[in-house]
Amino acid sequence: MAEKRKYKKRYCKYCEAKVDFMDYKDAGALRFSLSERYKIMPRRLTGNCKRHQDMISIVIKRARAAALVPYTVTRKQVVVAPFENLK
Amino acid sequence: MRNYENLVIVKPTLTAEEIQASVKAIEEVITSNGGEILATNPMGMRKLAYPIEKNERGFYHVIYSTIAPSAITEIERRFRINEELLRFVTIKYDTNREIAAFNGMVTKAKKAAEAPAKVETPVVETPAVEEAPTEAPVVEAEAVKAPEAAAE
Repeated sequence: MAEKRKYKKRYCKYCEAKVDFMDYKDAGALRFSLSERYKIMPRRLTGNCKRHQDMISIVIKRARAAALVPYTVTRKQVVVAPFENLK
Repeated sequence: MRNYENLVIVKPTLTAEEIQASVKAIEEVITSNGGEILATNPMGMRKLAYPIEKNERGFYHVIYSTIAPSAITEIERRFRINEELLRFVTIKYDTNREIAAFNGMVTKAKKAAEAPAKVETPVVETPAVEEAPTEAPVVEAEAVKAPEAAAE
């Protein structure tokens, strides 16, 4: 009588792709781990492993410093351009 | 000597030549402090994710180099004094994995620096070829319309 799993099994997409290094200049690749308001998505929602979550959080913060990814988004900007600048 | 990457954002209000001059001055700051530039990657004028000093756009330039760790503070001090710079980001590539990625990026940047001479010429030619046929039908269409208008 094993209980059925309620949700789909989570897995780390970066582990599957065998990502060893992330480049902060490639802002489009960071999109997966960013929310609509450019917050870093938590591990419990993306399924990233600890190692890759640490990597992506560092890389996103670097990209923010380099003005490739915004720190915050106001309400106006959310409506006008979700992910317009990073394809 | 350690591997570093310097990303520099130059003010967009300058003209193209002034930007090139300031980029050269920035590279000279690195070389004069004992750094060796391996490759550069001009990312060009981009829209900033948020305005910096009321500028919406900026000229991105990436410099890959090996610099003595002690020289970094001096280089960053010089960058801070430079008023043509909106922002700079210095990143250290230290572990084996990072160094491997760094070398990969350097070779990529070098290839990109060599390639444009070959790539740009067809890019310039193709629009010229495309323009010629598009212009002809437009003229014809106008010629067709003109008699119609005259008939009416």
